[in-house]
Amino acid sequence: MNRRKLIPASAVIAAASMLLSAAPAQAAEPGVTATSIKLGITIPMTGIASPGYNKIPGAMKAYFDYVNANGGVNGRKINLVVKDDQYIPTLAVAKANELILKDKVFALVGTLGTASNKAIARSAQLSNRGIPALFVNTGFSGFADKKAYPTTFSLLPSYQMEAKVIGKYLDENFKGQKVGLIYQDDDFGLDALNGFKQAKIDFAVKIPYASGSQAVAGVAGTWITKLQAAKPDVVVLFGVSSATAAALGNAFAYKYSPKWILGSVGGDAVTLAANKVPPALLAGAKGFSFAPAPSDSSDEYIKMFMDVNSTYNKGVAFDNNIVAGMTSAFLTVQALKAAGPKLTRKGLIAAIEKSGASFANPSLTPFAYSATSHVGATGYWIGTYDATGALKPDGGKYTVYTTDSGTGAVVTSTYKRPAMPAKGLPN
Amino acid sequence: MKTISIKKRLVALAAATALVAGVTTSVPAQAADPACSTASFITTCVGATSDTAPYMFLTTPAFNGTVLVWSHGLRPNVDIPAGIPGYGGYKITNTPEPAPGGDAKVIAALLGAGYGIAGSGFSRQGVNVQQAVATNVELIGVFKKKYPTTTKVVAWGASLGTLISQTLAEKHPTLVDAVALMCPATAPTEALTSYFGDFMWGFKTFFDPSIKGFGYSAGAAGYAEAMGDLVKFFTALSKLQAGLVSGAWPDTSSAGGKALQAAGIPSRSALTLIGLMAGVPMRSEHIDGTSGPVGSEQLFPLAIAPAVAVLENAGTVGLAEVLLMSDAEAQAGGIVFDNTKTDYAARIDADKDVYTMALSGNDAIAGMLGVLAATPKVTGSADAIAKAKTLLSITGTVKHPTVMVTTEADQFTVAGAGQWMIDGYATQYAAAKAAALKAYRTNKTYVAPTNNLVALWDKTAATYTKFTAAGSPDLTATAGKGTGHCKYTPAQYVAVAKMAANAANTGKFPSGGPIATAARKVGLSYDNKFQVPSFKSLG
Repeated sequence: MNRRKLIPASAVIAAASMLLSAAPAQAAEPGVTATSIKLGITIPMTGIASPGYNKIPGAMKAYFDYVNANGGVNGRKINLVVKDDQYIPTLAVAKANELILKDKVFALVGTLGTASNKAIARSAQLSNRGIPALFVNTGFSGFADKKAYPTTFSLLPSYQMEAKVIGKYLDENFKGQKVGLIYQDDDFGLDALNGFKQAKIDFAVKIPYASGSQAVAGVAGTWITKLQAAKPDVVVLFGVSSATAAALGNAFAYKYSPKWILGSVGGDAVTLAANKVPPALLAGAKGFSFAPAPSDSSDEYIKMFMDVNSTYNKGVAFDNNIVAGMTSAFLTVQALKAAGPKLTRKGLIAAIEKSGASFANPSLTPFAYSATSHVGATGYWIGTYDATGALKPDGGKYTVYTTDSGTGAVVTSTYKRPAMPAKGLPN
Repeated sequence: MKTISIKKRLVALAAATALVAGVTTSVPAQAADPACSTASFITTCVGATSDTAPYMFLTTPAFNGTVLVWSHGLRPNVDIPAGIPGYGGYKITNTPEPAPGGDAKVIAALLGAGYGIAGSGFSRQGVNVQQAVATNVELIGVFKKKYPTTTKVVAWGASLGTLISQTLAEKHPTLVDAVALMCPATAPTEALTSYFGDFMWGFKTFFDPSIKGFGYSAGAAGYAEAMGDLVKFFTALSKLQAGLVSGAWPDTSSAGGKALQAAGIPSRSALTLIGLMAGVPMRSEHIDGTSGPVGSEQLFPLAIAPAVAVLENAGTVGLAEVLLMSDAEAQAGGIVFDNTKTDYAARIDADKDVYTMALSGNDAIAGMLGVLAATPKVTGSADAIAKAKTLLSITGTVKHPTVMVTTEADQFTVAGAGQWMIDGYATQYAAAKAAALKAYRTNKTYVAPTNNLVALWDKTAATYTKFTAAGSPDLTATAGKGTGHCKYTPAQYVAVAKMAANAANTGKFPSGGPIATAARKVGLSYDNKFQVPSFKSLG
């Protein structure tokens, strides 16, 4: 037999048998190539809720650019596609669909707002399609329901946790006094109400507002007249920044000055300044955060974020929104790294569930990611705003309280934050 | 983009009737061979099946052996008085429809490509799936007898006609080689009755409790009740439109509705709630739900647009509810809708955040749900509900190459129906794949299952609302793409028909590229990653 003929014949047979017996090939993962990973975010870049929040994508990009300049993740550069949803949930759905179907992103990251995230999860069918929604910018405790939102991971402590911490503060400092509450009348606010209920806080006056109505002329003025009538000693403001701004602005106009407690969502001084609230109006108000103060350059994470911001996000003032954006990006990079070089959506979700609780990050509270939990940070420290709008920890140091979204007690945290990896790059 | 509207269909049908008038006068009352005539190379045959359903089929000398059997959508089974929006002045007709709306362009394109086309007007209108399937079975036989060279049959239809085509394919698989479903109504019976029934029950509960909606009397009395309901429904709807901005409630509103009005809850919030709990699309022909006029870019989409979209969609939903429910009840012998176990709070739970401002916040939502909870529900007849399932029921099993076109914001046959077919087929395909893998483990030969469902979408654009100089949405502007009911262009119908006919002949669809290209050319999308929410009643 002619050996020269035999070899090609064997090759043909082998190739043919491979064709016949080959199992189906796995489709390429959307948004991933050998050299790149495409991620997407939809967030209010314009409109009433945009001031402050519209800095988050720039901060994320800055950190991704920093990582890309240092070799990327497993050899892949990260590209973030940004869409403007104006804080309109139906528009957020349209933008998310664009990201998924047109831009073909690998995952969504950092989507802002309870309503927008819920709308996207339902209308874009994230769980059915296995699309990860990483480190969403909302504290709605419902996203911890892994059965309902199997591909969504929270970053912020839940609003219930925050309300419980506020409740502890009220109990220790305003016991027996009259407390007022302004809150957003949706799941964002309902989550907080549940937390206040756990903390056994009775409000002398509760003022709900429908999301968006804070921009309607005259609406915020009615809040203040109601408060003036009820005369609470302390008022909790649990809304978005534009609602906080509307309340503080109208209170100033009405010469009404109770003790204010600002929820973390609407309590960023730089964002409030963008909403035309002078920082001095915040002086003496109480605030809450789970990350170090953006002014705390002694913190290694904040220092690194500041450096990255000054190099890759030039001219943009460093504030809570920059910290939030970079924290999301920082966690995303670690998650992508942990998912390994054979990057898949399933693998990414599994990686966060397996090791997300130990990811390095600036949070001063523990993260609760596990196979059964998609809960992110789990507590807050309490501080006081000074006349420049800076939130300073009470007592000069971060005393962090941790709790859960259920009936668990609010306790002082003993959490030791993981050290920042060298140069702020994932190992 | 020109589409074939309901009005245009009726005009086209009238023309088609005139075209064959000379022949139809000689149609025999009993089943018999068709009467045929040839003019300008087109042979037109007309006749009636044994159940007296008139039919028509057309061929050319270049007939290629493939016939497309068309099933038209809903035609009311009663005359509709003039003045009722949508169908006012309609008289019952069973004019045969061999192609969508009798459209001349579609007919010319399909005949020009060598296909035969056939269609009936069916022996009864309204909910007529079982009768129509029997007619089509006979029609296929008549066609094949006339043209023994026939090799392939494509069953295609629109709206209610998709239930006819799908049922034909499910019950008579050997008669059909491919299927095409346009604006599919393919869904479990209870999902369809729930969609229309939930909407009307909510509407009457808030805005006019004198609307009957369910439990119509038999015969002429029932007809009078149904037509009276339509008048009441559209009267209340026009009052809601007038009170859209002010929030005023119709003077016919229930005591509960008036209490909500007194509490400062605008009528538009109640209308939005009804739309959400029934699953009415929150986008309509002129409302994209995302854009607003200058100066109200965010408040309009957040606070007003959802109600305007429901308002624009509601006419079709309410009209269909009365016509379908009264006919189904007459055939089933009782009430076919039952909401005694429906949890409307759960229905809107996932949406109330998204539409919180349109719904006026959680306190208002609680108030509106309280009114619904305090209102007696509709108790259906178990026997009638079971009978209704026999009138409409399909399994959704895909046995033949099937092309389906779903409109994303269709207010009549909602997109959830298309999604139901897609989801069902995904399960079917997964089972076939598992079987193939099992076989692979045994004999090391993997034969991938054939994909038999091509799901095309007529998608909406992100924004399309036009505003007048005064800042109001322009409801006279061109309708947005991906909205409305079965508003496909002749080119889209032809493209889908050819896709199905090709698959009928090859036994399979080509790989995705050619399909995507063909779809894109006529403004449709082939995107198997696109999904829409299911029916509200299916969770």
